Amino acid sequence: MSFRTIFFLIFLCYFSVLFQTSLLFHFSIWGHTINFILLLVILLNLFEPPEQKYGILTAFIGGFFLDIFSNGIIGFWILALLVLSFFIKLVLRKYVKIPTPKKII
Amino acid sequence: MSKKKKLLLIAFVVLILVFLNLFQKDVRGFFYKISSPFQRIFWKTGDSISDFFKALVFVKDLKQENKELKTENQKLLSQLIKLKSLEKENETLRQALNLGLEKDFKLIQAQIISKDISQDIILINKGSEQGIEENMPVITSQKALCGKVSEVYNKFSKVVLISNKKSSFDGKVLTESKEISALVSGRGGLNVYLELIPQEEEIKQEDLIISCCLGGVYPDNLLIGKISKIKKGDTEPFQEAEISPFCVIKEIEELFIISEVFKPTE
Repeated sequence: MSFRTIFFLIFLCYFSVLFQTSLLFHFSIWGHTINFILLLVILLNLFEPPEQKYGILTAFIGGFFLDIFSNGIIGFWILALLVLSFFIKLVLRKYVKIPTPKKII
Repeated sequence: MSKKKKLLLIAFVVLILVFLNLFQKDVRGFFYKISSPFQRIFWKTGDSISDFFKALVFVKDLKQENKELKTENQKLLSQLIKLKSLEKENETLRQALNLGLEKDFKLIQAQIISKDISQDIILINKGSEQGIEENMPVITSQKALCGKVSEVYNKFSKVVLISNKKSSFDGKVLTESKEISALVSGRGGLNVYLELIPQEEEIKQEDLIISCCLGGVYPDNLLIGKISKIKKGDTEPFQEAEISPFCVIKEIEELFIISEVFKPTE
């Protein structure tokens, strides 16, 4: 795991949340918008090589920013996304094989 | 990673989360402070782009709406002339009876920065430093009710909208013949409903709903919205109606917080 990648993930998650809560709201349907962090966590965990942990790291960073910009306790989204990441990793390890690129980030 | 290291990592993460929650106001305040310039830009940009697309897509509706508004404006102008003469008469009577001035509000202007990801709560750029306190009502420039302040930081505040699932307060329906008391209740997703309307009461679409100070939540006579759909079942004890609120968050940038309600002097 390189520091450059971690900083890139922090930057990406932070601005995705700002974009979602401030700009995308004007295009929301019944007050709801696309959750970019959730999409990013799912895609990363699905398509990254099994030995990489960027999906789990993204779940933690993205979950943190979602918690900051929402009204609940800090930790709700972190926990929810971490559980989702581990679940996807478990399913992929035991039941499903998806061809993954050699290096995703 | 060994089991011991994993457990240590989990314990460390839990400790950080506990610490963050203990100081969540300071942590959130810090992030709101550094994010607000970007969020202001995103909010304004989003507003401009959505206005542009709305104009393109709904140009036919806009023309019709413009025509209807011009007609309504003329009707209101004639009513205003009648009311002005009544106001003069009223003022004369007040002076004669030595009564005080009408109620008015002390307002603090604020701008919307962002909306909560999952709930009907918005963030505004004024906080305790500007005199904002919890439970202060929030309105638009046309005195349409938006919600109330729920959490106050140094320079920011969270406003729970009237469409929030936890929001409910007393309201009045202004029909042609009388005022009907009912409960204004938020259902999330920017939806507001009117509940507990007695079955025997006759309400219709476009009836105005205003706030009522019975429950002590909001001041009297703030505009809430108009009835858009009525749900009346024969087996239900009460009827309910969907409200089309006057405060449309997507279309406004600025709000006003009522910091003080001026009572009439005696």
